[in-house]
Amino acid sequence: MTRRLLPALLGVAVLVAIPLSIRNSFFLHVCILILMWTVLGAAWNVLGGFAGQVSFGHAALFAVGAYTTIILYLKGGLAPWWGIPLGGLAAALVSVPIGLLCFRLRGPYFALATLAVAEIVKLVALNWESVTAGSVGYLITTLPPVRLFGLEVNWERKPPFFAAAAVLAVVALLTTGWLRNSRLGAYLVAIRENEDAAEAVGIDTVRAKVVTLALSAFLAGMGGGFYAFYFRYVDPDAVAGIGLSMEMVFIAVVGGLGTVGGPLIGAVFLTAVAELVRDRFQMGHLIFYGLFMMLVIRFMPEGIWGRVRRLTPGARTGG
Amino acid sequence: MALLDVQGLTRHFGGVGAVFELSFSVNEGEILGLIGPNGAGKTTVFNLITGFVRPSKGTIRLDGQSVVGLRPHAVARRGIARTFQIVKPFPGLSVRENVTLAAFLRHPARKDAEAAATVQLTRVGLAGRVDELASQLTLMDQKRLEMAKALATRPRLLLLDEPMGGLNATEVDDASDLVRQIRASGVTVVLVEHVMKAIMRISDRVVVMNQGEKIAEGRPERVVEEPAVLAAYFGKRVA
Repeated sequence: MTRRLLPALLGVAVLVAIPLSIRNSFFLHVCILILMWTVLGAAWNVLGGFAGQVSFGHAALFAVGAYTTIILYLKGGLAPWWGIPLGGLAAALVSVPIGLLCFRLRGPYFALATLAVAEIVKLVALNWESVTAGSVGYLITTLPPVRLFGLEVNWERKPPFFAAAAVLAVVALLTTGWLRNSRLGAYLVAIRENEDAAEAVGIDTVRAKVVTLALSAFLAGMGGGFYAFYFRYVDPDAVAGIGLSMEMVFIAVVGGLGTVGGPLIGAVFLTAVAELVRDRFQMGHLIFYGLFMMLVIRFMPEGIWGRVRRLTPGARTGG
Repeated sequence: MALLDVQGLTRHFGGVGAVFELSFSVNEGEILGLIGPNGAGKTTVFNLITGFVRPSKGTIRLDGQSVVGLRPHAVARRGIARTFQIVKPFPGLSVRENVTLAAFLRHPARKDAEAAATVQLTRVGLAGRVDELASQLTLMDQKRLEMAKALATRPRLLLLDEPMGGLNATEVDDASDLVRQIRASGVTVVLVEHVMKAIMRISDRVVVMNQGEKIAEGRPERVVEEPAVLAAYFGKRVA
């Protein structure tokens, strides 16, 4: 128990210490990005890492969350902290029919189907102008005033966003941790290992996959909601592009498929790489992601966190 | 009443018939051998019964209730378990985890499932290998693992697809004993097998298939003397 509790407490301590001790707003911004990508990597990992269902279309779920959150705020006046979980819920709902359709396919065919779904969602976002405002997109100019502990929250500074991102990242990692120890998690691993054998021993593989996709969509949708809240701008290119789907894959693979801590590690590495090269290249960070991913797949196919766990004695059940 | 009753079972893939108008039944507590030359359709029959392949026509009843159209997991829940001719373990998981996953079907709590898995692993003689990866087992042990997984779903009817293929003579004897023990514990068994020695020793009855059709049925020592069976295996001149 202490082995699990200690890193958790340490993590929370770090999360509290960062906004209190760091005044550099660029560094805080990078930390916020890392936490957001942790949520997204974890969302992808639930489906891709545990169940072995490779999706190239998670941007679609992200987009549903982002649009839900921003539309509820701009048109319904609902504050983003309510809009974010509702965005997750909306993405989960949308994912169910998608899952029922796409899970008729296996392996690479499933992956291609998800790619197609993401393109469809992007086209819908571009053309359904009465709802999504098309390519113009939505912009949040002011966030609702909030008083916390008697102090007015300053939305022009980073710490409040850091706190929100931290909460979401903790939720994502706790969800993954729960999943790993649950019966559903065991079923997913069975599906990843051999789908026919899983069916043969009585596992309803379609149901397990659809439920997992919904869980994954919930996390991805909340990530999208947070994006809308933090960047205050949503348009189809920003939230439904294929690049976004790929970055979620990269983070989960580089961090370690099917591990709990992997997405956090992957997000740290890849956000760092992206920010280091962003000055010199506009979209160049994607090239470096690709390079990084190739290196990881070649030299540590279990991912960074997977490798660390293997090297730690007695860590077989940890992480 | 028969535990399993199959009537007029037919399946074609495109224009090619794999199983044609096959009817047979399995009595409770019986070991039924399903034999026939390669390509006779034996594995397809298993795939049809367990829901991996849908019949083009025909009925399959377990204890009077149709299982046609159910997906494989639902068939397993009804009480029909199977092993695969080409073993399908969860390769990256331990032996214990493999069987625990199967035991979840009747034991939702992990503790109970693990205990049930241990019982089945002991029964098939894998108690000493529970922490090994399934992919590291020998073929004989992987076949045992297949059986332990199938048994862990607590079936009423167990379909074994060539459990003895590729095993040496001693291993065949061990596997035969195991099948008889399984029957003694109250599980009805249908066995597809090419190892005739085993079929002759342990089956109460055999059904012989050739090119998708049933060509003979009866007690093993009788059936192997029937001209149709000899013709199917060795050609018409011998018969």
